[in-house]
Amino acid sequence: MQASDRHTWLTPVLAYLAAALILAFLSHSLPRMLPGDFVTAMYGASDVTLTAEQAADLRALYQDDSGFTAFLGRVFCLDWGYSYAFQAPVAALFFDALPWTLVLMGTAHVLSSILGFVLGVEAAWRRGTRTEKAGVGLMTVLEGIPELCSGVLLLLVFALNLGWFPAAGAQTAYADHTFVQQVADRLHHLALPLTTLVLAYFPGNFLLARAGMVIVMKSPFVLTARAKGLPPLRVRYAHAARNALLPLVTRFGLRFAFMITGALVVETLFSYPGLGTLLFNAIAMRDLPLIQGIVLAASIMVLGINLALEFVYILLDPRVAHAS
Amino acid sequence: MALPDRTVHNIRPPLLQPVTDKISAGTLKRWAVWVLIAAGILFSAFSGPVWADDRDIRIADGKGDWGYPTPFRHYPRGPGYIRMSWVFDTLVWKDQKGYVPGLATDWAYDPQHLAFTFHLDPAALWHDCTPVTAHDVVFTLAYFQQHPYQWISIDAVDRAKALDDHTVIIYLSKPYAPFLSDIGGTMPVIPKHVWEKITEPESCIDSACMVGSGPYVFKDFDKTQGTYLFEAFEHYYQGRPKKQRLIYVRTSKALMSLVTGQADLANIQPDMAGSLEKKGLTVIENERGWNKKLMINHTKPPFNDRNFRQALAYAIDPQEIIDKSHRGFGTPASYGLLSIDHEMYNPDTPDYPYNPEKARQIITDLGWTPGPDGVFHKDGQPLALELIASNLTVAGESVTDRDGEIIARQLTDIGINVTLVNQEQTTTDSRVKNRDFDLAVSGHGGISGDPKVLNEMTSSVYGGGSVNSARYDACPELNALMDAQMMEMDPEKRKRLVFDIQAVYARELPAISLYYPVTLAAYNPDKGIEWFYTRGGISKGVPIPQNKLALIR
Repeated sequence: MQASDRHTWLTPVLAYLAAALILAFLSHSLPRMLPGDFVTAMYGASDVTLTAEQAADLRALYQDDSGFTAFLGRVFCLDWGYSYAFQAPVAALFFDALPWTLVLMGTAHVLSSILGFVLGVEAAWRRGTRTEKAGVGLMTVLEGIPELCSGVLLLLVFALNLGWFPAAGAQTAYADHTFVQQVADRLHHLALPLTTLVLAYFPGNFLLARAGMVIVMKSPFVLTARAKGLPPLRVRYAHAARNALLPLVTRFGLRFAFMITGALVVETLFSYPGLGTLLFNAIAMRDLPLIQGIVLAASIMVLGINLALEFVYILLDPRVAHAS
Repeated sequence: MALPDRTVHNIRPPLLQPVTDKISAGTLKRWAVWVLIAAGILFSAFSGPVWADDRDIRIADGKGDWGYPTPFRHYPRGPGYIRMSWVFDTLVWKDQKGYVPGLATDWAYDPQHLAFTFHLDPAALWHDCTPVTAHDVVFTLAYFQQHPYQWISIDAVDRAKALDDHTVIIYLSKPYAPFLSDIGGTMPVIPKHVWEKITEPESCIDSACMVGSGPYVFKDFDKTQGTYLFEAFEHYYQGRPKKQRLIYVRTSKALMSLVTGQADLANIQPDMAGSLEKKGLTVIENERGWNKKLMINHTKPPFNDRNFRQALAYAIDPQEIIDKSHRGFGTPASYGLLSIDHEMYNPDTPDYPYNPEKARQIITDLGWTPGPDGVFHKDGQPLALELIASNLTVAGESVTDRDGEIIARQLTDIGINVTLVNQEQTTTDSRVKNRDFDLAVSGHGGISGDPKVLNEMTSSVYGGGSVNSARYDACPELNALMDAQMMEMDPEKRKRLVFDIQAVYARELPAISLYYPVTLAAYNPDKGIEWFYTRGGISKGVPIPQNKLALIR
């Protein structure tokens, strides 16, 4: 490997490592700046009346803080601490909730990206027609509707009035289901939160893909491809759309990186048992180890996906590799 | 003109190329239609509730996770205790009217020896089918002395003695009026043969810690989903429970979950009642056991003056708060803290009917003069205060309201410069606890339970650790009355003391009780279970309509 090549990949990796260290420090220190503590949160509205002495004892027990260095050491050993509020190891709580968020957010991102990409490309291809104008108008309106609003509307129509879908949860608790019935039941519960998220992400993807495609379609190579008499579908996807894909990949990556915060509203609304719900409860309970764990994992995820994107760009567009 | 970039367009993606060569636009459209039809069939196949099962009863709440249902692992809030109460029985219990037998068929108090005698039900069994005996009760008290159980204090217990397998005497070291409520009706009795081997109860979550004598056997708890599964205990001494399985589920949308059949019982907002009744659900209302109140920092001027606190009471109109912030769903509270539904409520408790003129007069008498802007001044300083408001958690559900805005306007109207700050509940609690505040909107339950709540919510001696306690020790008369009511074992004499406490409390106003919100729950009557609210709350005062007797009698 040449020195210059090594320099090309080593610099960003070192930069990302430094960023990870800063993020670890922030995830450790920021939650500690929140007013209030776990004892107040847990016993504040409780039916238990503590004496001042009991409160002081509990505070001493829960606020045993060994500092940032010790925290960092434990993070490297994958020991994320113990959640006060949920009385369980943080790592166990995190990894129990992660699959649900991955299923919900992952499916939503993949579906909305494919839909947005295909329809965006088709809209750009039909630029100027009535269908395209109506599509762009509709997507612009949908883009402005927040998840909370569309989620509540879906709940009102499909859960409350029509009764087609359950209003909460990820599965029917303790139902005697066969494997197939269980899968069907989980899909049934997934339908409304998934639709809410697809409605939130799909318009942006559509508009981005369309805008990228409109620019690419003016390129001479598209004209050449058409002139060669290639089938229209091939010109559209193999030649033009591939070059319009880059901004969409960026969006997909970044959106995915912000999975936990993105899931917070929808998961809370539909009582979906993912990381968003877990973080919401952790903050409400001032559960420092749990907040730290989730915030740090989320931050590392953002960094990791950013780093991965750098390499994906090179694969998708060789020009990026030679840009330096 | 720029040359086409060959590095890009000459690459022939192996996956795309053969497909795009063969598929026409028409084919693509046909595919899309088929995909849409398949999706429609898939979703319509699931329509309608698939969770209805007549053997089950499903209860919903917004949080789901309330800890493992053991004495040492349930969270220190009502819903956590209730989940444990299905598994562990107490000596006595409560129905709609008052105390009824639990593990003890009868009990008696001997004032001469400061002793309670309990006769246990000989049919009572643990879930592993060994009999419940008096030795288990003796062991329970000893165990809780060694490993304190957060919900009760057993400081007043001197010793316990088993006379035979089914008779136990508990001797007190001093008279303790809340004994029956706290120890008889709240303390879960644990099996000696299981717990004598458990040295770290706080970390025990295996099946051994779940052996109780209650109507249901614990089967599963899923922390992530916020769900619990209990199964009926066939040999329960009060008869087999009516439903085979009891299931708790998490939902933030009680109304929808009740309508769709996902839940058979849930707490609801008052506005939902009408539409739920139309859909065939039964709505039940609780007694007034929860009060919204105004915390006052009585350690600093001008709030340390009783007259000023009384002026605040005259300046605030609780009825306007109820009408505008809660659409009329509520009742103005007694200024003596104890609920107006409590059997020891004093109807002659001093009252402060809304009277802004009187409020201004009191403040003027205290040396303040109205300035040209209408705001009171003294020594060149305006009368200014900060009011903190937050969403409160009531019976495990977070409730949004606009009380802060209305109180701020009412106080502004009489000439006080009010800064309203909306903060999240934990932050508010923390500031109140550190006395880093002027006024704060807060609230708590328990005011229809044992009158001990008067002590806990007033004195730092009894409730110093509670954020809801005013921690007001400045009135010797009140302190003496509170000590006396804790020692008075004669119900009639205690009632007179409790009357006096309310009168003095309302005069001193360590905090101002504002109103009782309407508390409702709804359930599906087709399940054959008649849920009810317990008078004074379940055990020591939990205002939740999940009394186990509903599934037994």
